[in-house]
Amino acid sequence: MQIKQTAMAGTLESSDIQIMLSQGEKGITFDLTSDVKKQFGDAIKKTIQDVLASYQIDDVMVKVVDKGALTPVIKARAITVVQRAMDQKDQPNWEVL
Amino acid sequence: MEIVDIFAEGCPVQLEDVLKNRDWRVAVQDHLMQHFSTSTVVAVKLNVPGEVKNSPSIKQLFFAGWRLLLSKMSSMAVQKVTVEADRLTGPEGFFVINRELEEVKKEAIRFEEHFFLGRLFDIDVMTLHAPAYQLSRQELGFAPRTCLICSENAKECARSGKHDISALRDNINQIYTDYFVIDPVIPAWDQETVAKAATFACLAEAVTWPKPGLVDPVSNGAHQDMDIYSFLDSSLSLENYFKKCFEAGRTFRGDQLTALLSTIRPSGRFAEGRMFQVTDGVNTHKGTIFSLGILIAAYGYASRNEQSPSLSFVQTVVSRMGAQLVENDLKEKFSPSGLTDSKGDADKKVFKGNANRPSTAGEQQYQDYQLTGVRGEIAGGLRPLSTVGLKTLRESRGTTRVRLLNTLMALATSITDSTMIKRYGDPKISQQLNQWVQEFEARGGAESKGGQDYLASLDQAFIEKNLSMGGAADYLILTIFIGRLTGLL
Repeated sequence: MQIKQTAMAGTLESSDIQIMLSQGEKGITFDLTSDVKKQFGDAIKKTIQDVLASYQIDDVMVKVVDKGALTPVIKARAITVVQRAMDQKDQPNWEVL
Repeated sequence: MEIVDIFAEGCPVQLEDVLKNRDWRVAVQDHLMQHFSTSTVVAVKLNVPGEVKNSPSIKQLFFAGWRLLLSKMSSMAVQKVTVEADRLTGPEGFFVINRELEEVKKEAIRFEEHFFLGRLFDIDVMTLHAPAYQLSRQELGFAPRTCLICSENAKECARSGKHDISALRDNINQIYTDYFVIDPVIPAWDQETVAKAATFACLAEAVTWPKPGLVDPVSNGAHQDMDIYSFLDSSLSLENYFKKCFEAGRTFRGDQLTALLSTIRPSGRFAEGRMFQVTDGVNTHKGTIFSLGILIAAYGYASRNEQSPSLSFVQTVVSRMGAQLVENDLKEKFSPSGLTDSKGDADKKVFKGNANRPSTAGEQQYQDYQLTGVRGEIAGGLRPLSTVGLKTLRESRGTTRVRLLNTLMALATSITDSTMIKRYGDPKISQQLNQWVQEFEARGGAESKGGQDYLASLDQAFIEKNLSMGGAADYLILTIFIGRLTGLL
């Protein structure tokens, strides 16, 4: 499934993460910036991929600027950005939460 | 000494609250950057891991640093200041300053590295036209922030969950206890700030109400010859004197600290003259001129070379300055009337007594009761200031007025109040005073209606009996002064 619109969630404050989703056609592509990319880049991607999977999104461009966010923060920001991208802000997917 | 749990009084927050708060912060920062497009925006908050991010003690930590940081920036033109101290997600402050981004960031890094509480602070600087969102430490050639517990990169420790949250909390509790409780650390402030803090202390004491028997904005207490305006005038007349005392301490060389006292005594006499001049001859702050002047000089000396002294060191300097006060001012001039040193000295005693008639309450009380009064307090290093004054101020909750009233009452029982004794004519009044204070505390202190009502009724009783706790008021001023310098107020 594709997303409906470009969306963004999160901030560039320390310990936060900013995620932007825009329409893509060839699967999920990542553009990740993080101070801890070497150690945690894969873990960050995995957390976001899991959220995308639970919404059955398989074609999307994901731009991520991580400022040292912990996993629960990444997950929460990812859920928000997906909901915005699907235009369903007020209907959280409870299975994910 | 027990470690204070600064999280005990706090309220836990959810992840959602923290994330919403970040969105809010970014909105505030964006707004400030748009509005002051050529200036630098500074955002200040604490790094507090865990679900409790605000409490009365956490706010104390925040304000201690916030005040110091703002004063470091005071040479730059500050255009806007906002503080949100009560946010569930932790106290935060913002200010806008008309200086280059890099210059401000360097000052902020200096603060984070050198101030005792600096590592608890997170200071972000930003400006509208900068290439990056916020200027990082690394861009200026500084190392990234290190972890509170180990010396590794803080972000990596946080990401890997290397340390237990309780270990991090213990660490912050320890920092709070070291800074505020065991032996308070006083930053090295400049002369202007110190003199202002001293003047503020005099004014803050004066406007606190209801103080039993003392002058406040609501009642003149048991004083017919002065009112609140006398105290405003008197307080303002002292600022120059405070500056002189500070300067004398900062520039003093040598280790005979009694000489430092001799240096400031002429300034003290001059300040007394100024006080009488503005109050038309009424004694409003004579005790304060003496004790606060010495405390300021001691702090000036203890903080020379820009060191941040501990309160106990300042108190040691006070006591060394006053080492000969009791000996020189009292013992040699006024023999205690009840004492006979030896048979042969009887004549000598009478002779001495005639030669020096006590001219102050302190001298009279030494002669009558062997009480050493404020001189004894100085020689003892003003101990109740730390053991009772600052302790109560730190632990007391509520408005500034409530905290100061609780502090005043706690001090009243821990000192020998020469004003009370002079007015009552007998040191036995101390026991009565202890009972009053116990009753006040039993009714819940100044934060309760019962305690406030009791204070008002005590004020009436003091007026009827013509009593006034001037000594406790002097100690309250000293406490406010140090409280201001450490950030408790």
